[in-house]
Amino acid sequence: MNRNARAALLATTLLASVSLSTLGHAQAVNDPIEPINRGFFALNEVIDTIIVKPIATIYNTVLPKPVRTGVSNVFGNLDDVFIGANHALQGRGKDAANSFGRVVLNTTFGIGGIVDLASMNGMPKGEGDFGQTLGVWGVGAGPYIVLPVLGPSNARDTVGRAARVASDPRTYMPDAWSYSLTGAEFLQIKADNLENMNLIDSSSLDKYGFTRSLYMQRRDALVKSGKEAASAP
Amino acid sequence: MTLLRSAVFALISFCLIALPAHAQQGAEEMVRRMAAEVTAEVRKNPALADSQTQLAALVERRLMPHFDFERITQLAMGRNWAKATPAEQRQVVAEFSKLLVRTYSNALASLKDLDVQVRDSRKNGNDVTVRTQMIGRPKPVAIDYSLSSGGSGWRVYDVTVEGLSLVTTYRDDFNGLVSSSGVPGLIAALKQKNGK
Repeated sequence: MNRNARAALLATTLLASVSLSTLGHAQAVNDPIEPINRGFFALNEVIDTIIVKPIATIYNTVLPKPVRTGVSNVFGNLDDVFIGANHALQGRGKDAANSFGRVVLNTTFGIGGIVDLASMNGMPKGEGDFGQTLGVWGVGAGPYIVLPVLGPSNARDTVGRAARVASDPRTYMPDAWSYSLTGAEFLQIKADNLENMNLIDSSSLDKYGFTRSLYMQRRDALVKSGKEAASAP
Repeated sequence: MTLLRSAVFALISFCLIALPAHAQQGAEEMVRRMAAEVTAEVRKNPALADSQTQLAALVERRLMPHFDFERITQLAMGRNWAKATPAEQRQVVAEFSKLLVRTYSNALASLKDLDVQVRDSRKNGNDVTVRTQMIGRPKPVAIDYSLSSGGSGWRVYDVTVEGLSLVTTYRDDFNGLVSSSGVPGLIAALKQKNGK
């Protein structure tokens, strides 16, 4: 990605998020820009239906399960670095040690992260990201935001996502590498979640409201569990 | 006399202390039994997981009798419940339970090797939340059952999977619909979803 464009993108998301977080607090569901969100949600649905789901389905059909697991593990291994960093930022020493230990074990004996040896040896994968860290530090979720292509978020998690992009080595690779590696991970996550996506389709009446609720509850639960882990002795 | 008095006192205090604990055990026992029944049936007949109709039948037979659909619907509709006529309320309960049976069967299909362990339970007024863990996936899944006790024993009025509450999710799902097209709109949407 071009550096200026990246900086501009970062600045815009930050500004947008900060100004948005001052709006509409009193509502039960914090979604002051619902009409805009619904617009992006509808757009993402179209993109999912005509591009992402078909490719993800082909990916799941063509590649054998061990290969898909390997791909998922390699991205997961990179993610563990960030998970560990966030555990550390949240003051969760034990969890940070577990996550960094996973990276060491999986990168070496797990052949560059292809095999998740750590999970098989009593070091389960943790959960952690910059949005959660901000939440553990006491930053409220802020209003709900549907990001184009990327999907559900909120003001706090959008800032978290920007921090992740800024600190991800892929951002600083040549464009072709940066885009294809990021695209591959996006696709792999979608492919992993096809079953869940179909479950939401068959269970929801107003898919927008349903998805928003799931996202907000999930993020609240993650922040809560992060706080609990941080205050545990 | 003193002996009798202390015996009565002991009995009363025993009841006071033991009853709530006993109530909690009843709820835990119910969840354990419900899980064991479903697990046993799926183990006995592994092909079950691939048949949507058989799964739905299993859910209807083993799980649904333990669910308090009226309360679930009432909670999911929130303040809109009072806006509905009794006839509309009955319709929403009927259609929503159909949708939940399907949702549950779909979810079960993706959780094949299920093994449920009851972790603990918490009292919350007259209600009890039983926390369970579903083992046998890459990561264990936390599932909490909220139960209340009534005429027909302990019945489930909410299920929370990894922090996602069934009632809360459907409340947000229903709310938009009811505010844009009223309770009849909600009933129509439920019927359309079930018709598929």
